[in-house]
Amino acid sequence: MPDLGKLCLLVALILAVYSIFANVYGARRGRGDFILSGRHALWAMCAMVTIAVIALWNGLLRSDFTLEYVASYSSTTLPTVYKFTSLWGGQQGSLLFWTWLLSIFTSIAAFQNRRRNPDTAPYALAVMAGVAIFFLFMLNFITRPFDLISPVPIEGSDLNPLLQNYWMAIHPPSLYTGYVSSTIPFAFGAAALITAKLDDSWIRSTRRWAIFSWFFLTLGNMFGARWAYEVLGWGGYWAWDPVENAAFMPWLVMTAYLHSVMIQERKDMLKVWNLALIGLAFSLTLFGTFITRSGVISSVHSFTQSGLGPYFLAFLIAIVTCYTALLIWRSPDLRSPAEFESYLSREAAFLFNNLVLVGIAFAVFWGTIFPVLSEWVRGVKITVGPPFFNRVNGPLALALIFLMGVGPLIAWRRTTADRLLRSFAAPVILGVSAGLVAILSGIHEWYAATGFSLAAFVLGTIIVEFRRGVSARRHMVSEPPARALVNLVAKNNRRYGGYIIHIGVLAAFVGIIGSSFFKVEVKKSVAIGESFTIGSFSLKYLGLDQHENAHLEQATARLAMMHDGREVTVINPAKLFYKRQQQPATAVAIRSTPFADLYVVLAGLDDNGNRATFEVFLTPLVFWLWAGGLLMAMGTVVVMWPNVRERAAIAVAIGRSRAEEYAGEAASGGGR
Amino acid sequence: MLLAAAPRAFAAARPTVSQVSQGLTCQCGCGLTVANCNHPSCSFSVPLRGEIEAMISHGETREQILAYYRHKFGEKILSAPTTEGFNLLAWTMPFAAILLGGGFIALAFTRWRNGPLPAGKSPAASEPSAFDSDLRRRLENELKENR
Repeated sequence: MPDLGKLCLLVALILAVYSIFANVYGARRGRGDFILSGRHALWAMCAMVTIAVIALWNGLLRSDFTLEYVASYSSTTLPTVYKFTSLWGGQQGSLLFWTWLLSIFTSIAAFQNRRRNPDTAPYALAVMAGVAIFFLFMLNFITRPFDLISPVPIEGSDLNPLLQNYWMAIHPPSLYTGYVSSTIPFAFGAAALITAKLDDSWIRSTRRWAIFSWFFLTLGNMFGARWAYEVLGWGGYWAWDPVENAAFMPWLVMTAYLHSVMIQERKDMLKVWNLALIGLAFSLTLFGTFITRSGVISSVHSFTQSGLGPYFLAFLIAIVTCYTALLIWRSPDLRSPAEFESYLSREAAFLFNNLVLVGIAFAVFWGTIFPVLSEWVRGVKITVGPPFFNRVNGPLALALIFLMGVGPLIAWRRTTADRLLRSFAAPVILGVSAGLVAILSGIHEWYAATGFSLAAFVLGTIIVEFRRGVSARRHMVSEPPARALVNLVAKNNRRYGGYIIHIGVLAAFVGIIGSSFFKVEVKKSVAIGESFTIGSFSLKYLGLDQHENAHLEQATARLAMMHDGREVTVINPAKLFYKRQQQPATAVAIRSTPFADLYVVLAGLDDNGNRATFEVFLTPLVFWLWAGGLLMAMGTVVVMWPNVRERAAIAVAIGRSRAEEYAGEAASGGGR
Repeated sequence: MLLAAAPRAFAAARPTVSQVSQGLTCQCGCGLTVANCNHPSCSFSVPLRGEIEAMISHGETREQILAYYRHKFGEKILSAPTTEGFNLLAWTMPFAAILLGGGFIALAFTRWRNGPLPAGKSPAASEPSAFDSDLRRRLENELKENR
């Protein structure tokens, strides 16, 4: 199998190179047979990479320690599910996994465009093949997953204990899916620039891919945060680690892109900006990979560090340079008749939303690279950690939430003061009331009170939007309220799915404020039978259970959780010791409610377990962060739900583009 | 109700170990703050948290404790850049960039605003009426489709 894997990767590389040639030659010479052959080559490339992935999975599941990768990231005692996830637990495997996703997405895009976009698709596929060539080159010559080891060890080194968690089983695939799928809109953007087909057909054709990418970036970030919350044992979920930042930046830029393309679709403006944004989003995914794997900046994700940084940097520079050159080359053709009437318009709100989103992305980027700059300029190593990011991004987040409320309620082109007053009166009253309630409840932190107030204001604007839509349906199609609501969302899924996403963002924002400002912690050492309190809860140490198997030793504490003198439940924080890697780890116990999470860490054991030390966090509202993530995911599903009218719009846009082209050809007196 | 009920009881009066140790970076190589270091028996963060606890119980403020550790370990121990010299760039650049972007947008708006409107589009044409014109248009399309 290792030889088969190696061979497949080599053939995949050759096929990717051929596909570029066939697609570009076919498109330039109008040779449909070459274009078809280039597409087939991409499908064959996908098949080859799939076989290579199966070969590595086979090695992992069979604990074939002749493979260096299997010996380094697996063991005979590793649970089967983690043998399976070890594919993305190490350097070579994760790159192979990345390449596999890329080949799958490229194949799907090739299939979708077998008749659509005949002018741009071959170039877009050539760009995707170009990206695949980089990864296949790395897998064939630089970081090979099928290298053999000699002498063959009897046992493997095992997977890093931090990765032996179900959230880690799904966090990297989600994030990689988000990263890799951004290649498709990027490639079509680049193809639009190459072919000078600069209308919005490339945006419409790849809109679902962009949303798909955003969806998985959202999930990837959320799963990563949840993993940190459950595994790292410090009561938090986000530490502004460089690798977390690297995953957050493309999400921010992709969010900006998804909003700004609406202006181009609606008003044919911002062509350069949208092309720049998709280029930036894709470049940031590469930057994230560079950060993760280079070790240039120290990170909690050090297990992925390697000497691959320079290759990724070179590829990143090549992509940014080529794409920027294309943008500059085409800039005279990208000018559009701009039309702008008022700052009180939806397009203005969207532009400021873009400014803040890209501003936050820049702040995160700047904070991430500043330690490197400081070392270059001053020769002094400094750290840029959570206090910096919280202080800089905090006010920007408030501005973003405010704009989230303003944008949807004001009309395109312009809004009158009278209409503005009518639309915003109720949400403003709700927002101000929430702020007052917060202050009267004893919340004196201005940020938290303002944040709660703004969240209520934005929720108010969304309710107004739903109410207005339902009322319009009831008035014009005489539907009962519940049916009107369902039809409103079903028939305008893009708009109202977007509002559901906004509600998710608000819930997450409330969760972040609650958990950031009002978390309390207690550290106590207690003997069996003793109790201690935190907030309105009391915890009684009942005893310790010890288990051992071939893979790990586990000491699990039993704690009775009491509220108002009544036992609510028994929770079980544990200490683990992974034998193969000789590494300790913690398994936290979390009791979650919409009001607060009780988060218990077994921090230490004395006197054979008769005495134990617990670190306990009471974190208000953090539940809403995860609920918000779920709502964002649900909203995205609604947005992506197939919509007949949307398909018709795509067909019209593509048809218009072709008609313009034929008209141009007729005017110039001939074809190619 | 939720907003009122949740946080009231939890507001803290004096610095906690967590609040202070968030300001310090663990030197064990984990890349996290002293508060967040995830190594259960870390030789750096565990004793430091003990020291910080003692200092807080002696009445020292967060700033005093951070200054003490900066003197002892150098600037790299702080989890955020100072607000002096070159480090000021770290704090100001993001806002400067946003101001620059805002200025650019304002400039672009002015240019676009002065440009001619396409034929047949008067400002009054977009003025919304009783129902949002967009909603009305979409509803009418739907009705047409269903006929």
